[in-house]
Amino acid sequence: MKIQGTRFATIEYEADDIIALPDGLVGFPRSRRFLIVNNKEGSPFRWLQSIEEPHLAFLVTEPSKFGLAYTPEFPDKVAEALDLEPTTPALMFTTAAIPPGLPHDLTLNLAAPIVINALTRTGMQVVLEDPAYTMRHRVFDEKSPQGAGAAA
Amino acid sequence: MLVLTRKIHQSIVIGDAIEVVVLEVRGEQVRLGIRAPKDVAVHRKEIYDQILEENKGAAEVRPEDVPD
Repeated sequence: MKIQGTRFATIEYEADDIIALPDGLVGFPRSRRFLIVNNKEGSPFRWLQSIEEPHLAFLVTEPSKFGLAYTPEFPDKVAEALDLEPTTPALMFTTAAIPPGLPHDLTLNLAAPIVINALTRTGMQVVLEDPAYTMRHRVFDEKSPQGAGAAA
Repeated sequence: MLVLTRKIHQSIVIGDAIEVVVLEVRGEQVRLGIRAPKDVAVHRKEIYDQILEENKGAAEVRPEDVPD
């Protein structure tokens, strides 16, 4: 199968590559099936490319790649909905926002991670109730915009 | 917008599967109980709006702005 995204050249994929997010992401209910596309070789970023809406791709990352200790506790209903046992391999991404032309203003939404059961390849965007996690976590020091290569 | 007056412990039903109960009213705060099927996401509106904004922000990133 193939998809022609607007950000990427044609992406070829197999049925096994598809990640299902049955509820979609908050505010984007029409996209339920996604591909995970690497940004670049070695980059900490990936794109969650919608299959239903080829123009739609979300920049995501794993906060641990930026040295953040990020192991939030999920509400019980998340494990239940995704069939997650403590030993189930799981992926967790946060969305990453970058205002146009301002890469050093990168922020991660630590309050609403996307959690994926790697066995069933099904996931959901989880809203954490813990106020310790902010929706706009700045990754880079505001005073040193040139320090943008900080991916550990 | 439909406007209904309810007392404590009274509820409204939305469709066949969603019920919203008024649990407590204290000054300016109202506590609501919500029964809804698992596949219906329930969010505080301001939280929902913020997540939507961040999701949009992630969807609008220009590839050339992504740091290595």
